[in-house]
Amino acid sequence: MDAKHDVLVIGAGCAGMRAAIEAHDAGADVAIVSKLHPTRSHSGAAEGGINAALGNASEDDPEAHAFDTVKGSDYLGDQDAIEILCNEAPGDVYQLEQWGAVFSRTEDGRIAQRPFGAAGAPRTAYAADITGHVLIQVLYEQLVKRDIKVYEEFFGWRLVVDDDRCQGVIAWDLLHGGLKALGAKTTILATGGAGRLYVGTTNAYSCTGDAMAMALRAGVALKDMEMMQFHPTTLSPTGVLITEGCRGEGAYLFNSEGERFLERYAPNAMELASRDVISRAEQTEIDEGRGVEGNVLLDLRHLGAEKIIDRLPGTRELSMVFAGIDPIHEPIPVRPGAHYHMGGVDTDVWGLTELEGLYAAGEVACVSVHGANRLGGNALMETITFGKRAGRHAAEWALANTTVAVPPSQLSDAERDLKELLDRGNGERPWRIRDELARTMHENFGVFRREEQMLRQGEIVQGLRERYENVVVEDKGDVFNSDLTQALELEFLLELAACMVVCGVARKESRGAHARPYDFPNRDDENFLKHTLVSSDGETTTLDWKPVTMTKWQPQERTY
Amino acid sequence: MAVDATAHAPERTMDVALKIWRFDSSTGERELADYEVAAPEWVTLLDVLDLIKDQVDGSLAYRKSCRMMICGSCGMRMDGGAVLACKVRMYDIAKAGHVPVISAMGNLPIVKDLVVDMEPFWAKFKAMKPWLQPGYDQPEPNQEHVISQERMNVIHKESLCINCGCCVSECNSMESDPEFLGPQALAKGMRFVGDPRDAAKVERLDAYSSEHGIWDCTRCYFCNERCPKGVDPRDAIAKLGAEAMAAGIDEDMGAKHANWFVTSAKTTGWLRETELVPKTQGVVSSIKQMKFAMGLAVKGKVPPPIPPHVAEGVKESRALFDLVKQQGRGGALGIVQGERALSRLEHEVGHASGGGGDQGVGSRDQADITPGEEPTRKRGGE
Repeated sequence: MDAKHDVLVIGAGCAGMRAAIEAHDAGADVAIVSKLHPTRSHSGAAEGGINAALGNASEDDPEAHAFDTVKGSDYLGDQDAIEILCNEAPGDVYQLEQWGAVFSRTEDGRIAQRPFGAAGAPRTAYAADITGHVLIQVLYEQLVKRDIKVYEEFFGWRLVVDDDRCQGVIAWDLLHGGLKALGAKTTILATGGAGRLYVGTTNAYSCTGDAMAMALRAGVALKDMEMMQFHPTTLSPTGVLITEGCRGEGAYLFNSEGERFLERYAPNAMELASRDVISRAEQTEIDEGRGVEGNVLLDLRHLGAEKIIDRLPGTRELSMVFAGIDPIHEPIPVRPGAHYHMGGVDTDVWGLTELEGLYAAGEVACVSVHGANRLGGNALMETITFGKRAGRHAAEWALANTTVAVPPSQLSDAERDLKELLDRGNGERPWRIRDELARTMHENFGVFRREEQMLRQGEIVQGLRERYENVVVEDKGDVFNSDLTQALELEFLLELAACMVVCGVARKESRGAHARPYDFPNRDDENFLKHTLVSSDGETTTLDWKPVTMTKWQPQERTY
Repeated sequence: MAVDATAHAPERTMDVALKIWRFDSSTGERELADYEVAAPEWVTLLDVLDLIKDQVDGSLAYRKSCRMMICGSCGMRMDGGAVLACKVRMYDIAKAGHVPVISAMGNLPIVKDLVVDMEPFWAKFKAMKPWLQPGYDQPEPNQEHVISQERMNVIHKESLCINCGCCVSECNSMESDPEFLGPQALAKGMRFVGDPRDAAKVERLDAYSSEHGIWDCTRCYFCNERCPKGVDPRDAIAKLGAEAMAAGIDEDMGAKHANWFVTSAKTTGWLRETELVPKTQGVVSSIKQMKFAMGLAVKGKVPPPIPPHVAEGVKESRALFDLVKQQGRGGALGIVQGERALSRLEHEVGHASGGGGDQGVGSRDQADITPGEEPTRKRGGE
């Protein structure tokens, strides 16, 4: 064992850093393992804001937040978890502000809040349109203040499971090479999502679902994996995120005929309907020939230059650099793109998984507060609240239990497998497989899903996994071998894709992000008001179901 | 070989060529290698590196993550100047037939190819004590600080920093003094000094004013020029200098030097160079340089100190001084105001001669970023 800690956090985005801070403050010796420097994490790319019923812009309360979230989830969210999130959110946001988060301010000097999709009040606290960046910075500052150890640019590869509990991780040291065994009494997964499964995604290159796949391999079930959110406004052609904050500030969506087409899909909420509704509307417009070169148009012009520069400077910069468009003068071409995985590692409301000693928080986890469709602004909030809760629980458990063991055989097995991959001299390089996976997932498991396409995608993924068995890593060196880590990331993605397809085929209804207009156009609460649970033995995946936790709210018809 | 590496709809491609400085840390060998790939017309420099890594050489090393100018991973040099690779569109470059030279960032040790060791960068970041130090007016746990947007605007630019290192890469002072805190760390320092919620302002200014700190900046402005996010680190350093002097922290030679420029210009409208050295370095140090000074005097390079020569346009100089002072406490907007105040002055003089009186003196567009004003609990009273 190369090092040992009470608590080890894998991933250093908002959830990972928040968990580490909480575990540290609870008295545990905590360290973070991250393949990126913490401030490079993709939480920093979150733009629009973080939801909490502060009531700074208008009357609001946590129960209203909870109801909006339950309804937004298409009733697949677990209501106990949602209530916890919404109740703890205001205190958690105030704490971020006290730590120094540079939020935008209201006229009377309080944290500014803006309207967001499917929310009954202006509830999204924001820092212009760089909220994630501001939070990443403040959390890193607090990490530095506490002198919390970070294994920077360590690529987490395999969980150490011994004596029926998780006892750490085996990670590849990117800068120097070599596998390292890091032991821990408790391990918190916080590596984020897997948007790189899709060619059009808002996600960073690093969002490859690492810890979802690591948990899966360790025998832990993944929940609601078919639920991939498509964000309605991603910039053409690169997929870069254009924040929902644009619509929160009053932007319109037009089709090629100059029509605000949401009149026909969400006549009340219009551009502030929930994301799944708007993405489907856009895709329908595009499919039926009312798109503009495969896009619809997001028009900010009527907001005026001052508001755009003041509230949406990042959006303007992204549009200008990546599309050559200044939104002060021209509408932005946008289309739905893979954005957020509602599904993930199944946890309880403390982030604990079914495996003792193993926790998960943030996008990698499925508590589930988002159910079948996440509301904008709830993801950052989840990272903070559930990062905190997982950190606290993991620390308390670690401090009450003493031993850590990483059996040497687990490290030597990992070394042997890695050597086999690196020694392979003949075969295909991974990038074609990666590109085929991302393209076909988009085609066959996108905004709208057909049974036969999903089944075909299952076969395609199986074929790609077979090809992966013979991939070649061209770089044989030890120092910053991203050729190697990218190959390992692809293996993670392939395993997750297989799970998603199994779940998608099994859910024979339309709910939230899982839309099957051709065979099962309606929600079916009688048969499918339940979570999918998928596990794997490495070869085959097994599907199971789990009931949704209901507290106050019975399913209703969902319109906006 | 045109490869559809992105799987977007069929699109027009172009040939893009790069020269990349490769570096192998195991052998210490450097090599300038040529690459050419077919790429969609919309690609960025980062996309081209990806195509090269996929199709030509998998061992090419560079950092990347968000590809949307926010994570700060992909800082590198193009044709000798630091850029974020994801921010550089290649269309015009490729169409012009230019073959840019790509290399690792400067002022940091190279690990492999375009990857540098960021450890020295983060060590300086950490040396700034970069976290908010709460003061006596810390709100209750379930409350927020109540603070106006105007007062938070003081640190608007500094809080945009993504720690990419482009400013550090180009820093001239750091090249000669590797221990210089550098533009990124100092901008981070200003982010706290200017934050009305931070209670450690004076300690910070004191620490940042010591050796390798604020006054070691040579004001070359390369950091401002190369920052991909508009942080303008040099402006932040100027603000720190002004804040330090306003707080009475002016013992450093750099501070004395600056102070003498101000005093000299204010009183006589000239820079009185003869007095500059003793005022900056002290009397003892100046005596040692007496021989050199005499030489200059003999050749007519410096005027005799007595009697002080008062410039004809000294009123203009004094007006400028007053204007700078109005722009921010103790001229906190410092250096930037150098140019802006000058153009402003011209405008105001014209305005005044038109009979408009002296109202509105001071830069309106800068008025909202005045650091260090006294805290106000409620906004305005007007």
